[in-house]
Amino acid sequence: MKAHNESQAFLMLLILLCVNLMMVGGPTFADGDPDIDPPLAPLGPVPEPPDNRITAEKAELGKMLYFDPKLTGDAGLACSDCHDPEQGWGFNDPICRGYPGAVHWRNCHTVVNVGYMDKMFWTGSSKSMEAQARGAATGGISGNGEKDVMEQRLRQTPYYIEKFREVFGTERPILNDAWLAIATFERAMLSQTDTPLDRYLKGDKTALSEKAIQGMELFNGKANCIECHNGPMLSDQKYYNLGVPRPIEWEETGINTITYRFELYAKGVPEKYYREFKDDPGLYFDTKRWSDLGKFRTQPLSYLAYTPPYMHAGQFFTLEEVIDFYNEGGGENEMTERAGSKTPILKPLNLTDEEKEALVVFLEEISGDEITMSPPEVPPYAVMPDVADLTQSEAKRIGLEIYLTTATE
Amino acid sequence: MRTLYKNRYLLLSVTGTLAAVFSLGVVTQAQEPPVASEARPQIGPLPSKKAPDPALVAMGQRLFFDTRISGDGGVSCATCHDPQQGFGKQFDADGQIKRLSDAYPGTRYFRNAPTLINVRYKEDFADTGWGWDGRMGANLNDVMRDQLTESTIMNMDMRIMHERMKQDPVYVEMCKENFDSDCSSGMARRALVAFVETLVSTNAPFDGGKLSGSARRGQNLFQGKARCIECHNGPYFSDGVPHNTGVPEDLEIFRDPLRHLTYRAVIHTHGVPKMEIWRRDVGYFLVSKNYADVGKFVTPTLRELKSTAPYMHNGLFTTLTEVVDFYDQGGGQEDPLATELSPLGLSRKEKADLVAFLESLSSASPIVVEKVAIPLEYEPIDNWLHVEN
Repeated sequence: MKAHNESQAFLMLLILLCVNLMMVGGPTFADGDPDIDPPLAPLGPVPEPPDNRITAEKAELGKMLYFDPKLTGDAGLACSDCHDPEQGWGFNDPICRGYPGAVHWRNCHTVVNVGYMDKMFWTGSSKSMEAQARGAATGGISGNGEKDVMEQRLRQTPYYIEKFREVFGTERPILNDAWLAIATFERAMLSQTDTPLDRYLKGDKTALSEKAIQGMELFNGKANCIECHNGPMLSDQKYYNLGVPRPIEWEETGINTITYRFELYAKGVPEKYYREFKDDPGLYFDTKRWSDLGKFRTQPLSYLAYTPPYMHAGQFFTLEEVIDFYNEGGGENEMTERAGSKTPILKPLNLTDEEKEALVVFLEEISGDEITMSPPEVPPYAVMPDVADLTQSEAKRIGLEIYLTTATE
Repeated sequence: MRTLYKNRYLLLSVTGTLAAVFSLGVVTQAQEPPVASEARPQIGPLPSKKAPDPALVAMGQRLFFDTRISGDGGVSCATCHDPQQGFGKQFDADGQIKRLSDAYPGTRYFRNAPTLINVRYKEDFADTGWGWDGRMGANLNDVMRDQLTESTIMNMDMRIMHERMKQDPVYVEMCKENFDSDCSSGMARRALVAFVETLVSTNAPFDGGKLSGSARRGQNLFQGKARCIECHNGPYFSDGVPHNTGVPEDLEIFRDPLRHLTYRAVIHTHGVPKMEIWRRDVGYFLVSKNYADVGKFVTPTLRELKSTAPYMHNGLFTTLTEVVDFYDQGGGQEDPLATELSPLGLSRKEKADLVAFLESLSSASPIVVEKVAIPLEYEPIDNWLHVEN
């Protein structure tokens, strides 16, 4: 009886939803379209999680932490070393640099506008920006930091003691709050709300060039980019295998091979596939579903002009290469062959050179202005205030006051 | 604590439990006269132990010098346990006495790096772990894991470590030869243990019965008036349990922010209460959480002292003369918890004799181990696409 009620309620909801969609008239089903494609839309204000509200003070603290190398294993690199303001807040090598002595295994995402995404990383394996900051600081090939050491580094730094107290009300810095502050910095200072596309979509028809508008029409029509790159972030946040070629670094450079095998091992791929795989299993890492082999999340397209190279391992250096790839209907790789997981959405597009150019112009123009920022000077450690005048006798007794009293009674 | 003493003596004392309980009383109540040395494990030559497999030793020796088994490739075992410096560290790069050890880059350690020579004999003291505070491992293999993975020492993710080994044809060959398998972190640990097991004293004058007159008199003092034997007993010259001798704190640990934060991180990891408050090294308290154990450190071996200065857990004493003077005064005077020792009343000549005896416990010639050259870059694997990972 109860189940029956629930299914009835669900049906009602579904009907309401459909009616609602028809009324606003926005989402359309393109030709042969498997799902709803929300139209391009302005970004609007960045979402603010209820458990991590944005304040100016918290963002300022987060900015300092973002540029401070204390939050890694050897205090040798900061968030900004891989997500570099001068490299589109990402990293312009095909495969990202890693912790010293290691290298990463995928291309580094830009941090610009990630506040609008539901999940982080190429397969959405991190559920929030806060979790991403922690994951990057502690992962063996990224930050390799250990919680206790990183926390004590903050507690040895007067600036952080003061600022964490102001922002979080704690007597001494707590490491988890650092991830909250970094995420707040990224939301508050690295979100674009006024790109040419935003202005255009809000009614300013001069915000985009004629060529770009032509590109947008192709984007929404003949080139069918809108099928996956839709909504305000130009991403449906779903996962597809496009048949992007295997990165050559894994076979050509020993240190990259090490990281590739480490990922297979650490992410719990069965031994048979640990031995056999030579390409990135993508979403399969997270779901262990064979049909997810080689799938990656649709990349948001904002800030694109500043963040070459493109694709999950930086396989393409220019937007022209990317558009050529789609124009040919994508490719084939080890995972499309193993699992037949290539998306049926991709088909040859027969774009003319002029059309390709218009698409590139559109993508470049919607990138908006570059967000520049000079790194702040990171705060130094200091000796604890009581230590200067400490005597040997005091040092021996501090912490034992109660024990010594009770032991002599 | 009581059970620690008891277990130790049950294992090693020839006179049984009764004597053990009696001797416990002596250690904790300094006023009573010292008992005859027969009550404790006799000092003497190190018993011979099974030599590890040479092929495994060669693999361990290569790992020992390989910085790639630390997280950022910055340090190897040999960085702090330097074969040129008694498998510990005596001097820094400028030739200055190095009291406190280095640590993983971005941290700085708060204790002296102990020697690895004869460390396999500590395995006979299974009731206290390795390290000055006895926190590490139940056996040497565990200690290797702790050293490799501790964030302030090697900070190595062992899954990355075995993949690095698999990228080095020399390790690939060594793992195949020793284990008939591709490399794993467990194999690395076993190889490192095998290498460390080869570091054993050779031809110490004491072991060969070749003591000078002065050293012979020193031995009598050691076992008698100076009462060293109460803790430094058995062939390893250690009872393997922690004591508080009142060694002064090295306040540099708190004056150097990097050492202070490293110290807090380590004690916090081990659940020490009042982590922010301490301005002394809590020692064995880190393990027991019993306040009576604050400032206790596991008795170190006295073998190979000639190549392992400076002395004590914080390297506070540079010479053996300073050490003997310290005990002659009854140990440290500032520590309210250091109650085990009392003044010895040794003459200057007696102290010189003791030092002569202590020096007779070092190998006639230093233990030499050839440094292994390690390539800086990883080579790609031939035909990678068509061979198994």
